[in-house]
Amino acid sequence: MELHSAARRYPPGDLAIWIFILAELGVFAVFFTVYAFTRMQHVELFNTYQQTLDQRAALINTLALITSSYFVVRAVAAIRENDRRSCVGWLSAALGMGGLFLVVKFLEYAHHFAAGVQLSTNAFYTFYFSLTFFHFMHVVLGMAILAAVALKAHRGGYSAAEYTGIETGASYWHMVDLVWLILFPLVYVMR
Amino acid sequence: MLKSTAHWVRPCTRVYLLMMGLTLVTFLFGILGARGLGISLLVLAFALFKGHLVGDYFMGLRGVRGPWRWVILLWLLIPGSLISTAFYLSGS
Repeated sequence: MELHSAARRYPPGDLAIWIFILAELGVFAVFFTVYAFTRMQHVELFNTYQQTLDQRAALINTLALITSSYFVVRAVAAIRENDRRSCVGWLSAALGMGGLFLVVKFLEYAHHFAAGVQLSTNAFYTFYFSLTFFHFMHVVLGMAILAAVALKAHRGGYSAAEYTGIETGASYWHMVDLVWLILFPLVYVMR
Repeated sequence: MLKSTAHWVRPCTRVYLLMMGLTLVTFLFGILGARGLGISLLVLAFALFKGHLVGDYFMGLRGVRGPWRWVILLWLLIPGSLISTAFYLSGS
């Protein structure tokens, strides 16, 4: 999306998705703020149980989402150059990174459940599971959107003259990445 | 005369590599057990900066004029300020 040289009035993609993105970001902003202020009242509890989280898994997931976002940027650049094949390739690679995120997150959840940890174990885990699962569902939705866009691109539905659909899907996917960029340090690192 | 493009790297690739680097630094802070208000705020600043890069370079807001240009930055600054305040008040 970086190739636009002339300034435009509206962001790339359908404006409706941006309204949706802002609504989603608003919900996550409230979630993050409530987490931080709840932690303020239970600092030791949050710091103690934060150390039970797998930071390596979180690192892999962060790198996976950043990489998938980068791949989506390359997909948009490719379709702008009318290179449909590369566009589909980049979108497929982005989907692969999204899949990696889901697998790692699933394994993380499985580890916690096997250790007897639940949503109701304590305040920290309530936030951990709620926040990360809410984001997890956004990754699933984002992947469904990217898959639909990739399929349409594969069938020749986009060109250098018309690629709004790809930009729309890309904007949503970047939002999913953006939210995780804040979630990762807040829940896994800051103490 | 032909211009060499061997060293030309897309801006989005430079941004991508920068974000990967900042993520690794954040991870190192976490894995080494670094804690305290200063570290927390630094790590949060890295995250907000990465979010700004996503908005500007990946979402394409850098090429937008008017209020839409600033929506992501505004979104980052509001919860970012509140999170910073909460960590400041709790002492870490």
